[in-house]
Amino acid sequence: MRPYEWMVKYTSQTEWIKGRGMLFWIAFFFVELGAGMFLISSLFGNVIGEVIGWLICALLGGGFHLLYLGRPFRFYRMLLKPQTSWISRGFLFVSGFLALGAIHLALSFWASSNLGLLVVVAVLSFLAIIYGGFAMNYVNGIPLWNSALLPVLFAVAGLWGGAELSVAVLLLGGGMNEGLERLIQILLVGFALILPMYLISARYGLPAGKISVGEIVRGKWWPVFWGGVVVLGIALPLIITLGSLLAGLLVIPVELLYISILFGLLGDLVLRYLILKNGFYNPLVQASLSRHGKHG
Amino acid sequence: MAQWGMVIDLQKCIGCYACVVACKQEHFLPPGVFWSRLVISETGKYPTVTKIMYPVLCNHCEDAICVKVCPTGATVKREDGIVSIDYNKCVGCRYCVVACPYQQRTYNANSNREYFPGQGLTEFELIGQRLYPLQKGTVVKCTFCLERVDEGLEKGLRPGVDREASPACVITCPAKARYFGDLDDPQSEVSCLIKEKKAAQFHPEYGTNPSVYYISR
Repeated sequence: MRPYEWMVKYTSQTEWIKGRGMLFWIAFFFVELGAGMFLISSLFGNVIGEVIGWLICALLGGGFHLLYLGRPFRFYRMLLKPQTSWISRGFLFVSGFLALGAIHLALSFWASSNLGLLVVVAVLSFLAIIYGGFAMNYVNGIPLWNSALLPVLFAVAGLWGGAELSVAVLLLGGGMNEGLERLIQILLVGFALILPMYLISARYGLPAGKISVGEIVRGKWWPVFWGGVVVLGIALPLIITLGSLLAGLLVIPVELLYISILFGLLGDLVLRYLILKNGFYNPLVQASLSRHGKHG
Repeated sequence: MAQWGMVIDLQKCIGCYACVVACKQEHFLPPGVFWSRLVISETGKYPTVTKIMYPVLCNHCEDAICVKVCPTGATVKREDGIVSIDYNKCVGCRYCVVACPYQQRTYNANSNREYFPGQGLTEFELIGQRLYPLQKGTVVKCTFCLERVDEGLEKGLRPGVDREASPACVITCPAKARYFGDLDDPQSEVSCLIKEKKAAQFHPEYGTNPSVYYISR
């Protein structure tokens, strides 16, 4: 985009995806993935999964969040405005989850953890999963993000990713949980249904939403979306899930399950990238479309 | 307490960029940072082409979304309506930059950027860094020249009337297309213009109630 096209054509946000903004995208992903893995593992009594989820959320999620900040040593100030700011709320949820989660894990290993504490940590982990979607949803200048379905999509994606990683941990230990497999199937189908609903709702909203969805589905990002998100990220895991339903989980080769988990997670990561990258603002002054083309 | 606001007469604006330059000069803004901009577009087809010029700046919105999303309380709305940033509190999360539907905020990634790369900061730039110490890794935006307004009021001057107490873009505009004053005072020039010339806010659909009004062509 040339300087004179700024906010005359549909202009995409760059702060949360370009340059150091990439750290924010990765941080969002790992916070939700780690918290999701902790939550799912705690539901199925898998302490190792809880530890790994906690570590992913703390080291990768929290770490990348701090690296992204322009003034990281002032991070404690982000606790000050939870009444109106979703970033502040997110910081509270994540730090609360990490602090109480650490106590819960320590008690689980060296004593016996309290069920009440586990419930509080699980609730905080769920809030950590959903905050990113709400933080983006609050931005009313970007129609693609300002959709009620975005927090739902990200919440389901976070839980699904967490459940998949929990399965990977179980598979490494040589075991499997049928309930967990059933939950993954539900989350995967839910994700596959919510994604088109979300894109359709954004497509038929404001013009910038139409541009955003067009760029993702038919524009320059179409190979990434259809290949990376739809085929590898959703269709492949769906086929493997269907196969496991028909043939029984133990018949499916473990390598195939690992591939399914890997592609599922990559698809989720790519989808988040596309949503952040294609967050277009409506122009301040509309250019004549015949002269300037569709958009930048 | 006054509620400072601005009226921009698009019938008078000639698109000379004087406001943009004056703002950069007044605040010694580093390369790539603009607090005041001119958005220029064209509509129609030859031979009936119309050039549209909108001088834009922070709208100092009544219901500012940047104030709401700021997690640290660095962005505040003062009693006089000016939205200002405390650089010492800003953590550089850029939520405000993303959330502003008018895109009037800039992340100051590097305040030491030189206007003449490789030749070091000029004397002018060094003075600027002393007078307006922008912090690297924080967000910056138009302040309605609050230092001029505050100092002017201390001296008993009237912002919008006396040059010394008015924003740099207002006193620089050669076409006198910009007006500054108290929106709460029904007798002020800005209030009269809004009433008489039916000045309107820019994109009111965002629901932020901007304090900058435009008199359309």
